[in-house]
Amino acid sequence: MRKWLARLAALGVAVLVAGQGTTAALAQDPSAGKKVLKVGATQSMDSMNPFLAVRLVSTSIHRWMYGYLTVPDPKTLQPSPDLAESWSASPDGLTWTFKIRQAKWSDGQPITAEDAAWTFNKMMTDEAAKTANGPAVENFQSVTANGQDLVIKLKSPQASILENPTPIMPKHVWESVTDLANYDAEKYPSVSSGPYVAVEHKKDQYVKLQANPNYWRGKPKIDELQVIFYDNPQAAIAGLKKGDIDLIGRLNPPEFEAIQNDPNIVAWNTQGRRAAYLQINHGATTSDGKPVGDGHPALKDLKVRQALHYAIDKQKLVDEVQNGLAKPADGSIVPPMYKDWFWEATGEEKVTYDPAKANQILDDAGYKKGPDGVRTMPDGKRKLEFRFSIHTDTPIEDKLAEYLTGFFKAIGITLTTKKLDSSKFTEETGTTALFDIAISGWSVNPDPEEVLATHLCSRRPDPNGQGGGTESFFCDDTFEKLYQEQLKELDRPKRIELVKQMQERLYTQAPIIAIYYNNDLEGYRKDRIASITPIPEDKGLLYGGSGYWPFYTVVVKDPAAAGASGGGGSNTGLIAGIVGAVVVLGLGAFFLTRRRKSTADERE
Amino acid sequence: MTTPLESAEPAVQAAGPAEERSAGRGTLRYAAAKAGGALFSIAMVIVGTFFVFRLLPGDPVRNLAQGRNMTPAQLDLERHRLGLDKPLVDQFFDFVGKTLRLDLGTSYEYKRPVLDLIGERFGPTLLLAGTGLVIAVSLGIWQGTRAGWQRGSGFDRFSTGTSLVLWSVPTFWLGLLLMMVFGVGIGPIPGLLPFRGIESVDAPDGFAYVLDVAAHMVLPCLTLVAVVYAQYLLVMRSSLLEEVGQDYVTVARAKGLRDDEVRRRHAVPNALLPTVTLVFMRIGFVVGGAVTVETIYTWPGLGQLFYEAVRVPDFTLMQGTFMLITVAVIIMNTLADVVYHLLDPRVRSA
Repeated sequence: MRKWLARLAALGVAVLVAGQGTTAALAQDPSAGKKVLKVGATQSMDSMNPFLAVRLVSTSIHRWMYGYLTVPDPKTLQPSPDLAESWSASPDGLTWTFKIRQAKWSDGQPITAEDAAWTFNKMMTDEAAKTANGPAVENFQSVTANGQDLVIKLKSPQASILENPTPIMPKHVWESVTDLANYDAEKYPSVSSGPYVAVEHKKDQYVKLQANPNYWRGKPKIDELQVIFYDNPQAAIAGLKKGDIDLIGRLNPPEFEAIQNDPNIVAWNTQGRRAAYLQINHGATTSDGKPVGDGHPALKDLKVRQALHYAIDKQKLVDEVQNGLAKPADGSIVPPMYKDWFWEATGEEKVTYDPAKANQILDDAGYKKGPDGVRTMPDGKRKLEFRFSIHTDTPIEDKLAEYLTGFFKAIGITLTTKKLDSSKFTEETGTTALFDIAISGWSVNPDPEEVLATHLCSRRPDPNGQGGGTESFFCDDTFEKLYQEQLKELDRPKRIELVKQMQERLYTQAPIIAIYYNNDLEGYRKDRIASITPIPEDKGLLYGGSGYWPFYTVVVKDPAAAGASGGGGSNTGLIAGIVGAVVVLGLGAFFLTRRRKSTADERE
Repeated sequence: MTTPLESAEPAVQAAGPAEERSAGRGTLRYAAAKAGGALFSIAMVIVGTFFVFRLLPGDPVRNLAQGRNMTPAQLDLERHRLGLDKPLVDQFFDFVGKTLRLDLGTSYEYKRPVLDLIGERFGPTLLLAGTGLVIAVSLGIWQGTRAGWQRGSGFDRFSTGTSLVLWSVPTFWLGLLLMMVFGVGIGPIPGLLPFRGIESVDAPDGFAYVLDVAAHMVLPCLTLVAVVYAQYLLVMRSSLLEEVGQDYVTVARAKGLRDDEVRRRHAVPNALLPTVTLVFMRIGFVVGGAVTVETIYTWPGLGQLFYEAVRVPDFTLMQGTFMLITVAVIIMNTLADVVYHLLDPRVRSA
C-alpha cells in the first residue's frame, strides 16, 4: 500500500516538475529571430504527393511549393506567366507551345520543359497519377519537350488550357517513383519551384515550409511558413485569439463572429468564391438517358421549379441563416467576385421573392390545393411533398431547411428534411438520384469551366449507374452547345459572353437554384502580420483564395519588436512555471502529511 | 465511459490455507477457460468487423474520390487495388487470413500500413490516457475512501457532489471550457497552457522537450480525469461502506487500533476488489484513447486516428482501429476476471 503510494507520488512529482520547467523549454525556442508565419487549418493534409492530394489544404500548400504553367494574375485573375514565360497557339487552336522559364529547382537543378512534359505524360499514362487532376489532361493528345519549349497537342480546342491546375514536378526526383498510388512523398526538404520548400510534415499536426532562395520571383519576405492543424474549429479560433497562430481562413459565420470584436485581430470579410445552391431532381438520368432515382415527378415541370424559385426569400436567408455574411444570388453558379465571368439576371427574367406569383404559376399549371392546403399533381394522384436532403451535423443547413420549409408551405408545398452523412449524401445526390431537392455548393476557380462542366450530359453516371460527377443530372442541348463553343473560343471577351449565356440557361431552366454567395471569412493577428496582399488585390481573399500570392507577399512584424505585444512565450512559460511550482508544493505537502501519519502509525 | 457503476459484493472472510493448492490448479483451469472464451470473442469480432464495415453506407471507392470526378476506368482501378472487385467470399477469406497474419491492410488516406499507423499513435495515447487513468484511479480511490469512511460528512458531500457533476458534464464542453480559461485566458486569468498537440511546433530538444510535452499534457489530462474519476470514487465509496459495518472492522476497533489504521489495514484492502476489476476493464479502453479529448486538443493518438478515419471515411483504418480497441477490451476483461480470481478467494470457492 505504502509502496504504491510512493510510486504514485514519484509519478506525480515527475509530471509536475516537468510542468514547472516550461520556462526553460520556451526560453530555448529555436525559432527565435526567424520571421515565421503560422497559418491555422482545420483540415489535415491528405497527401504530400500532388498527384494524389485532393483536399483544399493540400492543394493550397502545393500552390506554395510548386510552379504551374500559369497562375492567376493578382490584379485581374487572368492567366499570367509562371513557369511558362510565354505561350502561343496554332491557328486551329490544337497545338500550344509554352516557353519554359530559365529558372532553378530548390536543389539547384535547372527547370526544363522536360519536367513539365514528364508531369503531363505521367498523368496521361498512369491511372494513379490522375487521382488529383485527371480531367486536366483528358483532352491532351501528346506532350513533348524540346529544350525549353513545351508542346501540347490537344484532341480538340480548349481555351481553358491556360488554367491548367497541375503543379509541374521535378522529373529528376520523381521519375524513380514506381508505385505512385502508394507514394507518400514524405522526403524533406522537398524539391520545389514555388516560393516555399516543405521541410517537415507531422501528419495531423503541422507542415513546415521554408522560403525557397531559388524562387524565380525572388525569395519571400518571411523565413518560414507553418501550417498548423486543429481537429476542431473552436480550438483553432482559440489558437488565433491566444496568438498560437497568426492567420486562419475558411471560417463560417458563427466562428467569424467569435473573432469580430477582438482588438488584436483583423476580421477579414470579403466576397467569396463560393456559390450555395439547391440541386433539384428534375428527372435524373444516366449518361444513356435512362431514368434513375426516385425524384418527385412534379419537379420535372419547369413551372414548379420556377414557382419554388419565386417562393424563396434569398435576402432573408442571407440575413438569418448566414448572419448577413453572404450576398443573395441573383445569378447562377459563378459568384460576383469574378467580375468578368459573373452573370446577373435582369428585367423580365429576374426572379424576385414573390409568393403570390409563385402561387399563381402553380394554380395556372393545374396544381390545385387540397383541403389540407397542400397542392396535388394535376391528375390529383400525388401531393407536392418534397424531401430536402442535407448533411448531418451542419447547424447552418438545419436552419436553411427550416426557412425553406416555411417558404414552400406558403405556396402549398410540403418540405421534409432528410439528413445524410456525407458519403451517403454524395451517393444519393450525385449517383443514385434518391432525392428531390438537395443543398449543394461549389468553390469556383478563376476560370469557371470546371464548375460549368459539372452540369454536362457526360457527367451523369454511366449506364451501370457508376462514376460521373454531376451536380444536377442536367442534360440540355443548348447548354452543351454553348459549352462546346466556349471551349473553342480563344477570344476572351467572346468566350466570357458564351459562359454568361450558359449561366443564364442554368438560371432559367432551374436544374439548380442559386440562393447566395458565401462571403470569404478569415482572421489574422494585426500584432503579427504587418501586411498581406489578397488575391485579387482589390478586396480579395487570403487563405481562401488558394493562391500563392498572399503568402508570397506577406510581411510579418520583426519578432523582437512583436515580442512585447505578442503575448511573449517567456512570460507564458514563467506563469506556467509558477503554477507548476504551486501544484508541486501542494502535492508535496499532501504526501508529506501522509508520510508523517504513516510513520506515526508505525510507531505504535 | 458508459459502464454502469458496479455494486460491491458482500464480504466473506478469506478462505483457509488448506484450499490453497487445489485453488492453484483451479485458477489455471479457470484462466484457460476464460482465455478460450476470449479467443472465441476475438474470432467473432474479426468476422463481425468484416461484415459490419461492408454494410456501411456509401461506396468506399467514391468516398475516396471525395467528390472529385472519376472516370469509370479510375473507379475500376481503385476497386481492383482495394480488392473490392473479388467475390465477397474471397474478400472474406483474404481478410481473415491477413488479419491473422497481423496485416490490417493499407490505409486509403495515409497510404501506409494500418499497423504502422497504430504503432505510431500508440505511444501518445498510452502517455495521455495512461497518465489520465493513473491520476483518475488514485484520485477516485483516495476521495472514495475518505468519503465512504466519513459518510455524510462535509467532505463526502462535497467530493461526491463535485465528481458527479463533472461526470455528468459533456466532455467536449468541459474541454472547450478548460481551453478557454487556462489556454486562452479569461479576464485576469492569463492563458498559460498549450492546447494543441503533444509538442510545440518548434519543439526544443533534450530535457526541455520532455517539459514541453508535459505542459501539453496538462489540459487534456485534466479533462480526461475530471470526467471519469467519479466512477472510481463511487465504487470505492460504496464498497467501503459495505465494509464499515462488518464484524472484523468492529473487532479491529475493539482491539484499540486507530481509526486510520482500521481503515488502511483492514477495510480498504477488502473494499479495493471491485475497483481493481473496474480499473482492469478501463485499461482496455485506454487503448482506444479518448476520442473526444484527443480531438479537442488535436492529440496525435489513436483516438484522433479513429476520428480521422471516420471523417474521411477510411474503411481499412476504421476496421483496424475498431478491431484493436475491441480486442484490447476483450483481453483486459479476461485479465480482470483472472486477476479477480487470484485476488479474491471468494470467487474461487464459488
